[in-house]
Amino acid sequence: MKKRLMFSIVTIALLIGQISAVPLFRDSLSNGFVVLTYEDHRLPVVDIRFVCRSGAAYDPRFKSGLANLTAKMLLRGTENMKGDSVADILEFLGTKHSAGADHDYSYLDIKTLSRSMDQVLDILSDAVLNPAFRPEAFSREQAKALTAAQRGYDNPRLVVMTEFDRLLFGNHPYASEPWGDTATLRKLKPEDSKTFYQTCYLPNNSFIIIVGDTKHKDILKSIRNRFSKWRPGTIKKLHVPEIAYPKTMRVKLITRPDFSQTCIMLGHPGISISDPQMLSTRLMSFILGGSALGSRLGQAVREKAGLAYDVRCWFDRRAFMGAYRATVQTVNPKPAIEKMLAEIRRMHSSGPTEKELEAACNYYTGSFPLRYSSSNGKLYQITRLELYNLGTDWLDTFPDKINALTLSDLKTSAREHLHPGKYLIVIVGNITRNDLDLPDAEWIN
Amino acid sequence: MKPRVAILLAVLAAFCFAGLESKVTEYDLANGLDVIIYVDSSAPVVSTTVFYQVGAYDEPTGKTGISHMLEHMTFKHTDRYKPGQFARIVRAAGGEENGFTATYYTGFYETFAKDRWELSLELEAARMSSCRFEDDVFQPERKVVTEEWRLGENRPTSKLWKVYEATAYIAHPLGVPVIGWKHDIDNYTCEAVADWYHLHYNPANAVLVIAGDVRPEEVKARVKKHFGRLKGKPVKRADFYDLEPPQQSERSIILHRNTQAPAMLIGYHVPGIRNKEFYTAEVLEAILVQGRTSRLYQALVTRTGLATWVGGGDYTTRDPGLFTIYITPKSEKDIPEISQVIEQELTKLKTELVTDHEFAKVQNQVLAQDVFDQDDISDMAYFLARCQITAGSWRFLEQYPDQIRKVTKAQVQEFCRHYFKTDNRTTALLLPKKEEK
Repeated sequence: MKKRLMFSIVTIALLIGQISAVPLFRDSLSNGFVVLTYEDHRLPVVDIRFVCRSGAAYDPRFKSGLANLTAKMLLRGTENMKGDSVADILEFLGTKHSAGADHDYSYLDIKTLSRSMDQVLDILSDAVLNPAFRPEAFSREQAKALTAAQRGYDNPRLVVMTEFDRLLFGNHPYASEPWGDTATLRKLKPEDSKTFYQTCYLPNNSFIIIVGDTKHKDILKSIRNRFSKWRPGTIKKLHVPEIAYPKTMRVKLITRPDFSQTCIMLGHPGISISDPQMLSTRLMSFILGGSALGSRLGQAVREKAGLAYDVRCWFDRRAFMGAYRATVQTVNPKPAIEKMLAEIRRMHSSGPTEKELEAACNYYTGSFPLRYSSSNGKLYQITRLELYNLGTDWLDTFPDKINALTLSDLKTSAREHLHPGKYLIVIVGNITRNDLDLPDAEWIN
Repeated sequence: MKPRVAILLAVLAAFCFAGLESKVTEYDLANGLDVIIYVDSSAPVVSTTVFYQVGAYDEPTGKTGISHMLEHMTFKHTDRYKPGQFARIVRAAGGEENGFTATYYTGFYETFAKDRWELSLELEAARMSSCRFEDDVFQPERKVVTEEWRLGENRPTSKLWKVYEATAYIAHPLGVPVIGWKHDIDNYTCEAVADWYHLHYNPANAVLVIAGDVRPEEVKARVKKHFGRLKGKPVKRADFYDLEPPQQSERSIILHRNTQAPAMLIGYHVPGIRNKEFYTAEVLEAILVQGRTSRLYQALVTRTGLATWVGGGDYTTRDPGLFTIYITPKSEKDIPEISQVIEQELTKLKTELVTDHEFAKVQNQVLAQDVFDQDDISDMAYFLARCQITAGSWRFLEQYPDQIRKVTKAQVQEFCRHYFKTDNRTTALLLPKKEEK
C-alpha cells in the first residue's frame, strides 16, 4: 500500500495540478441552460458539444431509434436553412461534425477552427432551436438508419448485445438499442421526431460544452445571445422499473450457420453510476476483465488457453442501473464459458489481491492525464461529470477517490455486485445446445 | 449565412504542419536507429512509437501474415520480461500501449505521463533485441490470431474488402490481407516466426519517435542508454512500386452472404506516393466522395435516394493504390442505376472543370485537418513514424498542404480522364445469399 500512495501522491499531484491549472468554468442561463467551458489554447481549435439529457432511454415503446434519428435530423435543415446549406457551410469551413444518441443523452458535436467559431455557433444554435424535420430529409436519414440496423444483424457482437438487453431489461428503458431496429425504424415519421424534440429538447434539460481556444466570459456572452430566449418546460419523468436478477443460469441460443465464430455475452443487473460503490466496483471489474491483455479473464481465456482474441467484462456506467456483462468471441465456446465463469466465481469469493489493487489504482490515476490530454478526452469527461452530477471538482478529486479505495472496498464490491450462477447468457453462432453442454442451464426458447 | 470564402492560410500557418520543422529533431544512432523527437509541452504526456520496416509487403508466398503473428509474439517473452508482463507493467504505470501491423510497417506504441516515459524505452529496447520464441507460448498465440482472423471473416463488409483487394491486385502484395491467409496462419512454425524476427527487428530497420513534453537533449541521452548498445543490421527491402501490371480489362466479383444490406466497392488503380498525381487523387477524394456535399453523395443519396451512404477515397499509402468508391445501395435492384449515375458523374468530371467553391472547400478541409491532427500526441507520433517509412521522411507531413495547393483544376480533369476508365475498374458486390434451387 505504501508503494501505491507514494507513487500517486507525488507524481499525480504534480500532473493533475498542471491539468487543473486550466480551469473548467460552469454557468447557467436563467432558462436553466448550462454552459461549461474548458479553456485550452494549445491550438486554434474549438470543440463544441450540445447535450440533451434525454437519450434512447426516452424512446417511446415501439419507437426505438427515435432519439438517435432526432439528433441526426438537427443538422439536416432548420426553419431558416435547408439541410444542404447547413452541410455546405460546415464542410466548406472544414469542420468535423456528428450527432446521435446514447442511452442517457443526445448530442450534437462540431469541431472547428476557432476562427470560424461564431459562424459555427450560429449554425449550431439554429439547429438546436429551429430544426425543421422536413419529410424528404427525414426519409433519407431514416433509410440510412435502417441500413445501419440491417448491417447490425451481420455483426455477432451487436446481435448478442441486442438480445441480451432485450431479455435482461424487459420493459426497462434500457431494453432497446439507441440505433433502433428495422421494425421500429420503418414506422417512424417526422412527427415522431418533432414530438420527441418538443418534449425533450428544453434548455433546462440541456447543456453545452466548449473546449478549446476561447474564453469563458466571451463564450458565455455568445451563448446567452443565442439561447436566452429558449423557453424552459416541464421535463418528462421516465418510468424505470426494477430489473430482475435471473434466479438461475438462463441461456438463450441463437443459431446462425453463417457465423464462423460463436459470440457470447453473459451477465446480470449491475449498478448505477450514482451508487457509492461504483468506483470500487469499476476497479474490481477492471482487474477481472478490463482488457484482453493483463486482466484475469484475459489471462485465463486468451493468454494461457488461446481461446479468443478478445475477452472482457464491465459494469455499464449509466444513470439508472445498467448491466454487468462479460463477453467473448470464440470457436470454442464451452471451455471459454467455463473459464470465464470460474474467474468470476473466484473474484466473487476471494476478491482481488493487494498487488492487483495497487496496479489498478496506478493505472487509473496514472492514465488519467492521458485520457484527458486531447480535446476529445476533455469532452468525454466533462459530458459525464455534468450528465451524472459528479461535480465540477471531479477532475481534481478523481485520483484521490481512487487512492482512497481499500482492498476491503473491492472485496465488498465483488461480493455484492457479482452474482455467480444467476446469469443471463446469450450465445450466437453456428452451434447447438449439445455442443455447449451446460448442465445447469435453463434454456430460453 | 453564406460561407466565408476567404482561406485562412496566413493566420494559421504557425499551427499547421508547415511549422513542424521547429518542433522536430531527427538524428541517427551509430547502429542505424532513426530517431525523431517531437516536442509539444501542452500536456504532461509522452508517446513513444517504434515502427519496423516490415509488414505484409515483405512476406513470401506461404508466409502471409507472419509479420502480424510476430507482432503478437513480441508481447510475450523477452530476456527481461515474462509472457503477459509487458501489458501488466504498462498498466501498472498508468500507460496505454498497443501494436499493429500494416502492409508497409509493424508498429508499437506506449503513452505515459511524462515522469515515467523512459519505461517505454526499456520495453521497446527489450522488444527490439531480446524476444524469445518458445513453442508452448507460440501455439496458444497462433490460436488467438486464428480467432482474430475469424472476427474478420464473420463480418460481411470486412470480407468484401478482402475479396475486393484480392481481385484488384494480381501481383502486388496489397492484394494479400495483412492478417494472412488461413492456410499460412495454420502452418508457419515458431522457428519461422523467430527467423522473421531476427531478420527484421533491429535498430537499422526501425524508426523511433518520442513525442510530447520532453527536452531533446535529455531524450538523446536516454535513447543512447537503452538503444546505443544494440547491433544494427540494415535490411534491404524489395521495391515493388511498379510490380502491379496495368489492368487491361474490367474485373468484378460478387460475395454472397446472409445479409440484408448490400454493399458496393468500385476501385480504379491510381498512382503511388512518388508520383505528383498522388496529390490530385487526394483533392479528388474530397470533391467526389467525402461528405454530404460531395458529388456522388449528392447524386446517389440526396437527389435520387438510390443509396443510403457514399464514402471512400484514395486508398494509397505508398505504392500505386486504389481510388475506391464505397456505396450502400438502398436495395439490390438499384445497383444497375447506381452504376449509371456514377458513370454520369465521372463523365462530368472528365468534361467539365470542378468549381472554385469545391476547390476552396478542399483547401479549407486540408488546413483544418492539419491543425486537428495535432491535438493528440500519440496520433502525432504515429503520423511521423508512418511518413518516415511510407514517404521516406516525416517532412511529407509538412509539405502536404503545399502540394495540395499546387493541384490545378485541369490536373483533376486529366486525372479523371486517364484513370477512371472501364478497363481500369474493379467492382466488388456484397449481395444477400440466395437459396440454391
